[in-house]
Amino acid sequence: MKYMLLIYDNAQSREAFFGPDGEALMAEVNAVMKELTESGELVGGEALADPSNTRTVRVLDGVPAVTDGPFVEAKEHLGGYLMVECETPERAADIAVRWPSARFTPLEVRPIMDQSGPEL
Amino acid sequence: MRTDARIEDLLRRLAPQVLGVLVRRHGQFDACEDAVQEALLAAALQWPEEGVPESPTGWLITVASRRLTDQWRSEHARRAREDTAASLVTRDEAFAPPAGDEPVPEEDDTLTLLFLCCHPALSPASQLALTLRAVGGLTTAEIARAFLVPEGTMAQRISRAKQRIKATGIGFDLPPEPERAERLRVVLHVLYLIFNEGYTATAGPHLQRSELTAEAIRLTRAVHGLLPDDGEVAGLLALMLLTEARRAARTRPDGALVPLAEQNRDRWTAELVDEGAALVADTLARAPIGPYQLQAAIAAVHDEARRAEDTDWRQIVALYELLERISSNPIVTLNHAVAVAMVHGPEAGLELLAPLDADERMATNHRLDAVRAHLLELAGDREGARERYRRAARRTTSLPEQRYLEAKASRLG
Repeated sequence: MKYMLLIYDNAQSREAFFGPDGEALMAEVNAVMKELTESGELVGGEALADPSNTRTVRVLDGVPAVTDGPFVEAKEHLGGYLMVECETPERAADIAVRWPSARFTPLEVRPIMDQSGPEL
Repeated sequence: MRTDARIEDLLRRLAPQVLGVLVRRHGQFDACEDAVQEALLAAALQWPEEGVPESPTGWLITVASRRLTDQWRSEHARRAREDTAASLVTRDEAFAPPAGDEPVPEEDDTLTLLFLCCHPALSPASQLALTLRAVGGLTTAEIARAFLVPEGTMAQRISRAKQRIKATGIGFDLPPEPERAERLRVVLHVLYLIFNEGYTATAGPHLQRSELTAEAIRLTRAVHGLLPDDGEVAGLLALMLLTEARRAARTRPDGALVPLAEQNRDRWTAELVDEGAALVADTLARAPIGPYQLQAAIAAVHDEARRAEDTDWRQIVALYELLERISSNPIVTLNHAVAVAMVHGPEAGLELLAPLDADERMATNHRLDAVRAHLLELAGDREGARERYRRAARRTTSLPEQRYLEAKASRLG
C-alpha cells in the first residue's frame, strides 16, 4: 500500500532546521531518506517553498481569482511530503514518528487511493 | 522500440535456464543475474536485426558469461590499482571468455530459481520483483511500470533482495524435502499476488499492468509442467485461468467495475473457462484437496453458469464449507455468507457475518460493511444497506470500488 506522509510546518519549526540544531536535524532526515531509499520503500518526496511564495487560485462563478499568499493565515502549513510504499500502515506511521519535524509540528499519514478494483 | 513479440516470449522463456547454468557454474547469484539481464537486453536489440541465432540459449550463455568475466576483470583491475599485490593476479582461465556456443542445459532450473526468489528471508515486495526479473526475464523498468513506482525504487528492491540472498548465504538448491511443501506454498502465493496485481488493474494508465496476469499464468504453467501431480499448483493455474476468463467483462470502458452477477457472459473467454474447468476437475479427482483447488472449483461453478440466475449456489456453499474447514479466514467467511444468502436467504447470510464484528482483522476493513450492505439490501432494509454502503465507500482505498459503492448507496437513497 502506498502512503502519503503530509509534513506540516510553521515558522518556528522551519527556523529550527536553520538554527544551531539544524545540522543534527538534517542528519536525521538524511538517515531516514537513506533507509527508505535502500529498502525500496521510497516512491517520492519533495519539500515545498515557504508559504509566502504561494499563489492561491479559485474560480468563483466562472471567474478565476489568483491572489498572492496562502488562502488563510494558518498556524501550520504543508511543508512537504513523502510518498512511501510499505507492507503495513504501522510501518508508515513508524516512518512519520522518526521524521524529526514531528517533534514540532504534526505529520499526517494517509493511504493513497488505488486505481485497481477488486473482484465484486 | 518494442522488441518483436515472438523474440520477447523466447527470451523470457530462456531467461531462467540461462541464469540456472551461470549460477551452477559460478555461484554468485547477484552477479550472474545482472549478467543475464545484460545478455537479454543485447539479444532484444540484436536478434530482431540479425535474426535469432541457431542456439539462442547457447548465445545467451556465451554473452552473459562474457559480461560476468568483464565485470570480474574490471573489479580485479580496480583492486590491482589499490593493491600492490596486483602482480599476483594472473589472467587465469576463469577470465577467458568461452569460445563459441555453449551446450544447452539439460535440467530446468526454473523451480530452483523460484524457490530462491521467493525465499522467506525476503520481503514480499522483493519476492515479487525478483521473481519477475530473474525468472520472468522482465526488465526493472517493466516491473516498475507494472507496480507504478519509479524505476529507481524497483531497482533498489531488486538489489536489496540480491544482497539479502548473498548475506544469508542462501544456496542454489531445491529446499530439503521436509521444507519443500511450505516453501512451495510461498512460491504459489507470490505467483498469486503477481496475478492479482495485474487482474485488479482497471483502465487508463494502469492498463499495462495486465501484462502481469499473462506473466503469472506463464510462470504457473511452467511450475505445473514441472510438478504435474501437485494438486495446489494445478488448482492455482486453474484459478488464474478461470478468473482471467472474465477479465473483459469485469470493467466498463470507463474503468467502472461490473459485479459478477451483472457481467455480460458472452464476453468471457470460453477457451480459458474450458481449460480451467477441465484442470480443476482433473486435479480434484486425484490430488489431496487444498485451498487453491477449492477456490478454482468455486470459480468454475460461476463460470459454467450461462446466466447468473443459473448459478449452482448450493454447490458453491458446499465448497465454501470445505474451504472454511481447511483454511478459514474472514474473507472466506464473507464470501461464504453471500453464497449462503443466495441459498437460504439474506438473514442466514447476515447471521454468518455476526462473529466478524469481533474479529480484529476486520476492524478497519471495508469489505464487511460492503457485504453486510449487500445482504441488508436483499433483506429489504434499504436504510441499513445505504448506511453500510456509504461507510464501506469511505473506508476503501480503491477508487473504482469507491465509485461502485457510492453508486449502490445513491440508488437506495
